[in-house]
Amino acid sequence: MTQTAFSMPNSIDSVDKTVLSLKDAIEGLLEDDALFRFDICVIEALTNVVKHAKTSDVNAPVQITLTLKNDKVIVDIFDPVGATYFDIREHAPDMSDIDEMAESGRGLALILQCANDVQYGPWDNQNRLSLTFENGVHE
Amino acid sequence: MIHTTRHNDEITVIRPGVERLTAVNAREFKDEVSTLIEQGAYQLVIDFKDVSFLDSSGLGVLVGILKKVGSRGELTVCSLGASIEQMFRISRMDRVFTSYPNAEIAVQSMSERL
Repeated sequence: MTQTAFSMPNSIDSVDKTVLSLKDAIEGLLEDDALFRFDICVIEALTNVVKHAKTSDVNAPVQITLTLKNDKVIVDIFDPVGATYFDIREHAPDMSDIDEMAESGRGLALILQCANDVQYGPWDNQNRLSLTFENGVHE
Repeated sequence: MIHTTRHNDEITVIRPGVERLTAVNAREFKDEVSTLIEQGAYQLVIDFKDVSFLDSSGLGVLVGILKKVGSRGELTVCSLGASIEQMFRISRMDRVFTSYPNAEIAVQSMSERL
């Protein structure tokens, strides 16, 4: 198992650069379909943190851990300090329930639909969203 | 940001001018296309030839642009790469937007409807 820590400034301008850095770190490990799912889930999750997670310290970076374990890629995203507990599994609508003409509200549904596994809960005094990706057919 | 090409004085092909259309740049893209619409461009083709990735913010602005065009014209998309096509399919946007293999075919098809 290998684990790498990343740190992202809590700003929307930093999200895409961070996702590209994470993709560089897993180069060659995920096939195209899984890599697409990784891309979409991580960008939606980080965008959600920056836009919606209230923090008591806006200058505190968002901490991310990338774990490579057997054939799995696991991304752990830690909520900013002071952020309210928010389990996306309890709030994400089903994609089929979203109005096709809605201009927002698809991000959480995409995460649940595209990740192989989604976990959320307390971890070392913070809340952590854990997303797992692996190659193969994904329903 | 965007690059535009006019065809037959009626159809405008728009290239977003970014490789990834995401929350970082989606607002700017929408604002620039909205300006075009306000100037009277109602027949729009968005060409994704040089765009490799689109997130939910990008999808949202496409829907917003579609609503802004409304019944005054038409908005279609073309040159979707594998990732964007997959995003359209997962988010069910393939039911909302008509897609063409490339800009030439999209313009030809649109001009036949005018």
